[in-house]
Amino acid sequence: MSRKLKDKLLNGLIWLSAAFSVGILITIVAFIFSNGWSKISWDFLTNDYESQTQYVNVTSDQSYTAPGSLPRDAVFSENLGIAIEPNENGYEVAWIDDNSPVKDAKNNAEEAFPIKVGYQLEQINGEGANLKIKAGTNAEDLINALDASDELMIKVVSPGGGIFPMIVSTLMLILVALLFSAPVGILAAIYMVEYAKPGKLVNLIRFATEVLSGIPSVVYGLFGMLIFVNTLKLGMSILSGGLTLMILLLPTMMRTTEEALKAVPMSYREASYGLGANKIQTLSKVVLPSAIPGILVGVILSIGRTIGESAALLFTIGTFAKLPINPTSGNLSLFETGTSLTVRAYVEVKESGNVEMAAAIGIVILVIVFTLNMISRLISKKFSKANY
Amino acid sequence: MKKDMTLNRKRVFLEKFFHVLFLLAALFAVISVALIIIFIFGKGLAPFFPNNQFGTYNFIDFITGLQWTPQSGQYGIGYMIISSILATLGAIVIGVPIALLTSVFIAEVAPKPLANIVRPAVELLAAIPSVLYGVFGFAVITPLVKQISPNPSGDSLLAVIVVLTIMILPTIVAVVETSIRAVPQSYKEGSLALGASKMQTIFKVVLPAAKSGILTGVILGVGRAIGETMAVILVAGNPESGIPHTIFDRVRLLTTNIALEQGYAAELHEQMLFSTAVILFIFIMVINLVLSRIQKKAGDR
Repeated sequence: MSRKLKDKLLNGLIWLSAAFSVGILITIVAFIFSNGWSKISWDFLTNDYESQTQYVNVTSDQSYTAPGSLPRDAVFSENLGIAIEPNENGYEVAWIDDNSPVKDAKNNAEEAFPIKVGYQLEQINGEGANLKIKAGTNAEDLINALDASDELMIKVVSPGGGIFPMIVSTLMLILVALLFSAPVGILAAIYMVEYAKPGKLVNLIRFATEVLSGIPSVVYGLFGMLIFVNTLKLGMSILSGGLTLMILLLPTMMRTTEEALKAVPMSYREASYGLGANKIQTLSKVVLPSAIPGILVGVILSIGRTIGESAALLFTIGTFAKLPINPTSGNLSLFETGTSLTVRAYVEVKESGNVEMAAAIGIVILVIVFTLNMISRLISKKFSKANY
Repeated sequence: MKKDMTLNRKRVFLEKFFHVLFLLAALFAVISVALIIIFIFGKGLAPFFPNNQFGTYNFIDFITGLQWTPQSGQYGIGYMIISSILATLGAIVIGVPIALLTSVFIAEVAPKPLANIVRPAVELLAAIPSVLYGVFGFAVITPLVKQISPNPSGDSLLAVIVVLTIMILPTIVAVVETSIRAVPQSYKEGSLALGASKMQTIFKVVLPAAKSGILTGVILGVGRAIGETMAVILVAGNPESGIPHTIFDRVRLLTTNIALEQGYAAELHEQMLFSTAVILFIFIMVINLVLSRIQKKAGDR
């Protein structure tokens, strides 16, 4: 084959490979967006996953006035301070006064179950009120039932199919993982760059870090399940997941912080010592502040990793699509189980083959991850422009 | 004078305190690795020694066994080891050339504005969570494989290889592209001055000079491929036995084995999952050591 032909062939292969790589990205993103787009809506982001039907008790103690603007066919209950509008199955809550008693509604087990906007009202019971709400129910009958008594028992149905619990769990998980891994990673990096002398100890630490970064996440999941869920009896919880991630993220945090610290010129440190500062003062007032952009990039990388992690979380955080709430107090708790967006996407496909749901979650994940990626790139650019 | 001395003593104490604090933080990595190894190996090697509380299992049977049915007490991961090796090999054989050529494109061939599009595009590929690759594989790749496969299902070694190839691309490109750009301009200029064409320069001068970086990329790619779980668990099929005879056969990998059964395994079964993890661990260590040795040899040139 002539050289010119060979060169043309190689050139063609090179362009083809690049086109393939970019093409893959476009294909996957297009796949995720096209399959999941139909599910995306504000409700999708804010609704609970499971639709719940509950009988709740509401106690009213004052009268409420309607707000200035209400949806066109909405009706207002002065007793409870809520506006209700009709939908295809009956009536749903459209607006709730800030002080409305429905916010303190409790079910028969004394658990908090506040009624929220979007909930379907199905039945109202109380003194003088006994109404089953259907599609054709008269609005006046509804208001009379709601205003009939100070003590009402209402059957409500909360809408499902939303990913709000996963969003909350993921945020809590990120917080816990960062809270534990960032300080340890940064402090460790400071030691490696500012204090350590070349020798056996440093080599050991570096070797350990390399081993940690080579361990597959499924092994982290196994270890996390053994230590945090079982041995330390934390159970499947945000905390277990966060602690598992702490170890997983450590090499990343250490490496990026080390790079950031190394990029601070020695002259800064020397000038600081020359002015009479000691090591701690130099570190805290001169070196660290200059290294902040690099450390931030490490933090963002860790956030991205946390969001994308699944194998290490499957059995440390759990797969239940619920808010990590303590059932009696109704407060968010780190000791409760929830599941992250990514883990849930996996479960959706594995258990029900629901590609649409997984893709919809995928859209949310991709938007977050790509935004993080862009932010970190902007920081890096600004960082490198800094005149040293 | 006395005030100065107490102030000084306080400062000295603080300095010592922080020094120890930083050291402890750095040792945390060592402690974590030690813990992980102790626990995983501890639980994973227990079944192969006598007096295991859940019964003993023969190590050779474990390594070479071709059947994994916990219900009947069979714990053979031999077929999984082979499947993992085959899948990784396939991904490397297809993925490394594509990644290499893409890196060459970004670093040498592409006009600057195009390179500035392709490079971030490949970085974005790395940012996509592995589960989404798995969903893509499940919904797009397996139906495609099913169409050309003699088997009834699209879950196959081929699907696994395709997904793994896509996944290791960005990993390898990131490293290789950097090392290609690190090759001194003088090498390229010298080659061109001697009359070589651009392609000849790239393939006969630049790439060999970037050998160590390329090998690093391959090592990282292998590590990623052999440790990948979620992306492949939905397309592998995960049968309870059987070495894949063709690329259309279903496979169970070491990693998917662990992830699938982790939730409900108990006693001996659970220990066996840890044993699988031990084998995986050893594999990755061995591969890393071998490739590092090759890399050192290549670098010595």
